[in-house]
Amino acid sequence: MGIQFRKVSHEYSFGQKGFFQAINNITLSIEEKNEFICLVGHTGSGKSTLAQHMNALAFPTSGEVEIFGSIVSSKRNKKIHYNDLRKHVGLVFQFPEYQLFEETVEKDIMFGPMNFKVSLEDAKTEALKAIKQVGLNETYLKRNPFNLSGGEKKRVSIAGILAMNPDILVLDEPTSGLDPQGKRQLMDLFKQIQEDTLKTIVIITHDMDLVYEYANRVIVLNDGDLVYDGNEEDLFHKEELASWSLNVPSTIRVLQRLKTQFNLDINPFQKTVEQASLELKRGMNR
Amino acid sequence: MSKVKVEDLTFSYNQRKMILKNINLEVQKGEWVAILGHNGSGKSTLAKTMVGLLEPAAGHIYIDDILLSEETSYELRKKIGIVFQNPDNQFVGVTVKDDIAFGMENLCFSKEEMLENIDFFAKKVGVFDYLDKEPSLLSGGQKQRVAIAGILAMKTDIIIFDEATSMLDPYAREDLMKYIKKLHEDGLTIIMITHDIEEALFADKLVILKEGKILLEGDKSAVFHQPRLFEDANLELPVALRISNELDGAEFSAWKEYLWAYSLEK
Amino acid sequence: MKNIVIGQYVPGEGFFYKLDPRTKIISIVFLMVSLFLLESITYLLIAFGLSILLLIAGKLSILRILKGLKPIFILLIFTFIFQIMFNKEGTLLVNQVMRFSVTSIIGIFVITVIWRFLAKYKRFNTILFFLYLAGLYFLLARFNYGAVLTTFPLMIYQKGLEMSVFVVIRLIIIITLSTVLTITTKPTDLTQGLEKLMRPLKIIGIKSEDFALIISISLRYIPTILDEANKIMLAQASRGSDFTEGKLKDKVKQVISLLVPMFIIAFKRSEDLADAMESRNFIPGKPRTRIFDLKFSYIDLFTTGFTLLCFATSIYLKVI
Repeated sequence: MGIQFRKVSHEYSFGQKGFFQAINNITLSIEEKNEFICLVGHTGSGKSTLAQHMNALAFPTSGEVEIFGSIVSSKRNKKIHYNDLRKHVGLVFQFPEYQLFEETVEKDIMFGPMNFKVSLEDAKTEALKAIKQVGLNETYLKRNPFNLSGGEKKRVSIAGILAMNPDILVLDEPTSGLDPQGKRQLMDLFKQIQEDTLKTIVIITHDMDLVYEYANRVIVLNDGDLVYDGNEEDLFHKEELASWSLNVPSTIRVLQRLKTQFNLDINPFQKTVEQASLELKRGMNR
Repeated sequence: MSKVKVEDLTFSYNQRKMILKNINLEVQKGEWVAILGHNGSGKSTLAKTMVGLLEPAAGHIYIDDILLSEETSYELRKKIGIVFQNPDNQFVGVTVKDDIAFGMENLCFSKEEMLENIDFFAKKVGVFDYLDKEPSLLSGGQKQRVAIAGILAMKTDIIIFDEATSMLDPYAREDLMKYIKKLHEDGLTIIMITHDIEEALFADKLVILKEGKILLEGDKSAVFHQPRLFEDANLELPVALRISNELDGAEFSAWKEYLWAYSLEK
Repeated sequence: MKNIVIGQYVPGEGFFYKLDPRTKIISIVFLMVSLFLLESITYLLIAFGLSILLLIAGKLSILRILKGLKPIFILLIFTFIFQIMFNKEGTLLVNQVMRFSVTSIIGIFVITVIWRFLAKYKRFNTILFFLYLAGLYFLLARFNYGAVLTTFPLMIYQKGLEMSVFVVIRLIIIITLSTVLTITTKPTDLTQGLEKLMRPLKIIGIKSEDFALIISISLRYIPTILDEANKIMLAQASRGSDFTEGKLKDKVKQVISLLVPMFIIAFKRSEDLADAMESRNFIPGKPRTRIFDLKFSYIDLFTTGFTLLCFATSIYLKVI
């Protein structure tokens, strides 16, 4: 089940002005269990387009996407209720302002589930569960979403999708614009959700430090092509990182400098500051 | 004589919550000051009061030693400009040329002078080839540069950047920082509002805000020697320094020195 | 990908591009009034001929102008038919009995299906349409098989035909004139032209500079707003709000889920923009210089003269 991409391409055409190949011949498979995937690539590499194919918001110009058993191709199939697929794959967009519209946080979170024919009572229960899941307490439910801070709005928009109980959660740059603490809190939250529910989470991001620390699988797009699909450890050993416009995570960068400067016997591939300092202490004792 | 002087500034939208409390700050000519703080610390409010967009509840702002007030704001705005966070919401013109001209038109520059300035500053920020293009065809980074050109064209020599890079991707961010660095080399006074420590490393002086008050002030070295206060302000030190702070023991001193030098270089 | 460009302006060369926008605006107004003053079809046809000559002189592509007529094609057809049916003056030109029988109704059904099926060959659209009309006529007028259900007489009178041709041609000339305006004038020039023309309204308290600024800012944000609307629809579709289906009650909610974010974003935008403009020394009402200045030249004088001549002629023709 899950999401299967088979030779998917998406072309935007502008009539006489030509066309733009957003994604090119992508084949990959996303299971609904236990993957913490980071989708990375330079701006314009096709990440958002790829994400929109995951819940049938966009249709491929060639190839097909199988979403939980339903096949989405360039031709509209009258038998498939594309809207239902969005129950299985929840996509949270980057800016909460594009999503929040109700008078209370509770009503806004309930919008998603109720569109999928969940009863009023059940939707309220889901809203309560979701608001707690994103680390905000019940009192937020009766508040006006427009009076919240940026970080709080982000969490409410995420709660709105969580309340739909999707099998796969896809988030487009969820940490952008947040301060360092906010970033960390949000990523820990996703890790928590992933561990509690065992569902798959896909995060589109530019922050390689976060990718290295949290992901167990990384998909790299470059100019619309799929250039890497593997674990986070191997990725940062690759020479092509610069040509893919990816930065080296800070911890690796710093340890590599130290290693070169002082000719140290250490493994620079450490994910956190704590692990890095431990490795350095070990290195001192060798 | 300082370029910008903030004296005992206090600001609030209503009586209940003080956004800024007794802020005292001086920026010298040609200095690059970074104002750091968590979301909600009052940094953007401070920026807006410095250009007279918001009126303080108490305290004063002096630009080139002239008190900023409703009467003087028109004259003083010729000296200080601000680039905002959202590249789209500050682009007034129908084309790049129009937008760069906007400020000069307000100051009644002559047509010849405006056209000359537009060409000169568009070249300076690298948008000359886009002069007749509409904003919808530009990237976020390009729009920010157009904003800079428009401000420079007004012969402004103090520029405030209010989280001007936060809506840009890492490459556009790096790119914009390079331009700002060039401006600083040309002698402009730069006030940069950010929560990104990597950007703040370019600055001569760092000011840390927490909940409307200045927690800490000084050059990079001085500020980094107080990691507790840094964390208190919900900010993160650069990774190299955080690693260094975890290493205690005399045997690590050479490495720590190196990590410090690495952090302070930019 | 944002590639929406404002307006229908198409860069080009020629007479019309060199005219000052003010001349174009005033001329169009006067020419349209002149058109409406004309009463006889002969003079209208002369005006039509003149328009075609002008287009050729101005090196404008007639094909492009015709494309400008596409949106109102249906309106033209409707107007034509309407005039013919309801104008019963003059000599009777056509008197044809139209028969509805079971077989002819089946026939109509068949040719309609064939027409719609062939509609995908867009290049033959107009030919197919007229073939369809011919087919309808044949089936209703000449098809003499089957039991007759009902009949009605199709009567076309001379006056009716004249009037419908008149009205349609007049519409065509008017649309052509405005298409010429929008194709040859940049939206910014148009705004500036309107601004300068509206200066006299200062007497009744309307500040034309502010008005022009409002228009140009609105124009500038059209692509941005369209893009945002699209993103909002995607975000809400992600939550199950599919804009292509749903009952009326759902539709209301769907529209609200689109409009509320758009308004909120628009309000934030106006606050931010006001801050940006104020920080760049903008003061509403205070005089400003401009980088672009509109200048009249001989061409404008000539055009204005020509327009006034047309106007005078129509008045003269009306009065005599």
